Amino acid sequence: MRFRPPFLLVLALVSCRDRAPAPRVTLTVAAAASLYEVVTELDSLYRTEHPDVAVRATFGASGALRQQIEQGAPVDVFISASERHVDALQRAGMVDPRSRRVFAGNELVVVARMSAATGIYSFQDLALPQVQRVALGAPASVPAGEYAEQVLRSLGIAEAVARKAVYAQNVRQVLAYVERGQVDAGIVYLTDVRAVRGVWVVATAPPASHAPITYPLVLVSRSPHHEDARAYAAFLLGPRGREVLARRGFSLP
Amino acid sequence: MLTVRARKRLPHFTLEVDFAVRDEILVLFGPSGAGKTMTLRMIAGLERPDGGEIRLGERVLYAREPRAWVPPRARRCGFVFQDAALFPHLDVSRNVLYGASDGAAEARERLGGLLGRFRIAHLADRWPSQLSGGEVQRVALARALMADPDVLLLDEPFSSLDAEARLAAQDVVLQAHETWRIPFVFVTHDRAEAERMGDRMLFLREGRQVDGPEVPGRGD
Amino acid sequence: MIDWSPVLLSLRVGLSALVVIFVLGTLAARAMTRRHFPGKDVVDGLLVLPLVLPPVVTGFLLLVLLGRNGPVGRFLEGAFGVRLLFTLHAAVLAAVVVAFPLMYQSAKAAFQSVDTRLEDAARTLGAGEARVFLTVTLPLAWPGLVAGTVLSFARSLGEFGATVMVAGNIPGETTTVPLAIFFLADAGDLRAAGIYALVISALSMAMVVALNVWTRRRRPGWMRR
Repeated sequence: MRFRPPFLLVLALVSCRDRAPAPRVTLTVAAAASLYEVVTELDSLYRTEHPDVAVRATFGASGALRQQIEQGAPVDVFISASERHVDALQRAGMVDPRSRRVFAGNELVVVARMSAATGIYSFQDLALPQVQRVALGAPASVPAGEYAEQVLRSLGIAEAVARKAVYAQNVRQVLAYVERGQVDAGIVYLTDVRAVRGVWVVATAPPASHAPITYPLVLVSRSPHHEDARAYAAFLLGPRGREVLARRGFSLP
Repeated sequence: MLTVRARKRLPHFTLEVDFAVRDEILVLFGPSGAGKTMTLRMIAGLERPDGGEIRLGERVLYAREPRAWVPPRARRCGFVFQDAALFPHLDVSRNVLYGASDGAAEARERLGGLLGRFRIAHLADRWPSQLSGGEVQRVALARALMADPDVLLLDEPFSSLDAEARLAAQDVVLQAHETWRIPFVFVTHDRAEAERMGDRMLFLREGRQVDGPEVPGRGD
Repeated sequence: MIDWSPVLLSLRVGLSALVVIFVLGTLAARAMTRRHFPGKDVVDGLLVLPLVLPPVVTGFLLLVLLGRNGPVGRFLEGAFGVRLLFTLHAAVLAAVVVAFPLMYQSAKAAFQSVDTRLEDAARTLGAGEARVFLTVTLPLAWPGLVAGTVLSFARSLGEFGATVMVAGNIPGETTTVPLAIFFLADAGDLRAAGIYALVISALSMAMVVALNVWTRRRRPGWMRR
């Protein structure tokens, strides 16, 4: 059969595994998708300092991660993008409340296209008549949208902006709308802006105008690696963790 | 000697047959839907009767009391189907060789002889889709006989052939019976064919044998 | 440069799932086309169910089944000390569950299209059931089985919703191409996402073309009319 050689090659490629030295223990951290770069960078730093500990990370929507933990997926450390999911796990007794810390924070910002002269310099300006469309995440399903709503409400411009709001399924969409000029401005997290060129931060929401945006970190009770998980969490919460967070635009607790 | 005593409930009637066949051609004759094909299938083991006994020589192929059942593959009942049922994905040689149980070399030798006998040697490498109606039936016959059966069942094998091809095909079967002196059970609904082919005739209508098991036919 | 691990992982999952799907789908279809038993239609409906459920729902159901408190998860952990969640095996399982109905349906149609009289003929010629299946039924059903294989392979390559629930999204371990594309696009790296999309498309196409050519070569005489 003339297709045999390529098939065998594929098979060979596919059965290769990494030949790294076997670690003493493997930790699994489940982290919100938005923390991908931060956690990945910290994990490789941790590996160089602790070669006997391998850290593998799974990233996803906090809600899905919580369900996986509830169903017994092997997770040692959980970093969520909202307190709600950690609360639920805590009520179910699946996480250790004494280990709960705030890993990082975030800020809400208004973004607009660089080249556009929109005349928007603050959150307040979103209510101006010349601003025709504003993009934000749908408050029911997107945390950033929920926070945006809180800010607008505290500034008294919620109805005014709601009339010109374009709701998106996620932050990526919001940024895409702004980039393409389909809206005049968008409301996203500060950390989301770094992923995109062509938009710039117009204003940052004052912390008092919304509930704190926090990423809680907690240890999972059923983990068989308590000591190692604790050490790893301490590393994340320590000075190195804070340095990476700051560099990537997160605010520090 | 093939003895068939079988009963089977069918949607419109109950089929009941009782006959014996020596080394002769017995014709099962009757209108469509009378149960002729079903009878053949029961003999071959492709259908299970509700009661009775089917015996080939010393061997009990089926019995209700005491329970006996020989699966079709072990019955040594050759079967020529109405549309030949040649394997479309095998050429003529491989079709005919399918039922051969001897070794490869011996089978090949017999194949040559058999193909020659039925005058289909020139078709050995053809595919079933390339054959005419008459050729197809001759291949089916050769295939069934290649497996060295103890009885040959033919289910209206020539119904789709024109008159001329039909006569030629009938001759082939008659000549085959000269060589293979085993019971042949031949099903047809054509009276002329029945009278030409059969040493004896059995008339089947709505599952019942009309006139007793010994009906005078050609051989008388 | 580009990280090839999602591609290799997808290939591993796809090819492993393919073998399992082919065998299970063929056997299940064979059993269902030959036997009649009470409740047969219900069984058929269950076997096809993943086709009509959204993959995320299937994923959630699998998560519960394989989890600590689920029947399968408890059995596996108790009897073998094995936990499937967050492993590549779970990804293979998700792919099998999701793509199985495609193979099963195709195989059923293929087997039903084989004239039963041909199988009867084989039996009267002395063939046992295994020989009938291997020498008559399978070759004649082959084009349909190939079609089913292609469909289910493509489906398992693109599998996302169920995979992410039971295998997680662990870069280098369970992040297959569809997961990589989704999370990269989500993070804003559309260029990388696009490259993966191209690679997986090329792979799928290659498989389809290869299978079609191979099938054509195997069946010269009798299929060309």
